[in-house]
Amino acid sequence: MQQGVLIYCFDTPQVAYHRVANASMALVSKYLDLPITVITNQATLSWWQQRPDANYVTIENASNNTKLGLPWHNLERCEAFDHSPYDRTIVMDVDYLCFSHKLKRLCDSAHDFLIHDRAHDVSHRQALTYERMSMLPLVWATVLIFSKTERVRRIFDAVKLVRQHYHHYCNLYRIDYRNFRNDYAFAMAMNQINGYHVHDVIPDSIATLPNDCQVLSRDDHGIHYQYLNNVNTITNQDVHVLNKEFANV
Amino acid sequence: MDINELKRHSDLSFDRAVAKKNLLSRAESELITVYRDHIFRADPITIATVRTLMEHKDSFFLLDANSNPVEIKDPKQFLAQLVERQQSALNTYHQAYQSLRSLKE
Repeated sequence: MQQGVLIYCFDTPQVAYHRVANASMALVSKYLDLPITVITNQATLSWWQQRPDANYVTIENASNNTKLGLPWHNLERCEAFDHSPYDRTIVMDVDYLCFSHKLKRLCDSAHDFLIHDRAHDVSHRQALTYERMSMLPLVWATVLIFSKTERVRRIFDAVKLVRQHYHHYCNLYRIDYRNFRNDYAFAMAMNQINGYHVHDVIPDSIATLPNDCQVLSRDDHGIHYQYLNNVNTITNQDVHVLNKEFANV
Repeated sequence: MDINELKRHSDLSFDRAVAKKNLLSRAESELITVYRDHIFRADPITIATVRTLMEHKDSFFLLDANSNPVEIKDPKQFLAQLVERQQSALNTYHQAYQSLRSLKE
């Protein structure tokens, strides 16, 4: 069974996501030692110094979603089942930095679909609690681990359906945030596919560095970050870094 | 103690508390282990349960981290895996915690 990592990466006028992806992919190679496939577009690829150990696939991505009024190219993740060339796939955000072997261990489990249902703010100011303003158990689509089974195909089909009728589902689950967001789309799909009951999850919480935290330095083992006058460190633990400026450090 | 000194102490305590929480969350992630295709946490409850059950049975059933039943056919090997994972996580935590405690007042 071939395992691999799938990353979606599309530059926007504001953020050179391919630079963020380069940082993430270097860590994937070091800690997970798995082949990488990048789904990107021609415009992004033209700027990219490509890694020899990664496979780059170009598509024409949808570009009609925004976040805080800026372009947000996140509409393709529900296609991961079809885009992935692997039997067992880890899909991760470009800004998820692997500093441990955890995902590799989880890849060896038999669960055909795994996702986190918890994330926490590493600065412990509860910056992520607003994410809970909905009527369904939230999941975090930052990392997905899946096998190509018929059940998993149905999950991705359900996410596509949610994407197609997103505003209807937001009304149904009383979600105020109306721009398309994969966390909500997967949460709604999982909720429906699983008959409104709980499903298997990755049993830990995603360490998340909020957008207002600045990464001061990083190496192969972790990051130093700052918020206000506080400086702290995360090492040997995977971390989801929301401030994309870390790619320039 | 003046107000500035108090504030400095308070800030340092806050930083230590945040760092400790993050170290604990890292340990929680490190406790995750996969045995016979199932995900377990190598926590004290799991270790103690396995240790107790293997005194009475050669094989037994256990719930994984998502409450799915798993037959444990080789408890000795499973226990060794759990202990290794748990001690590795706590050893890392212990080392980081010592560094944290030695932060200058």
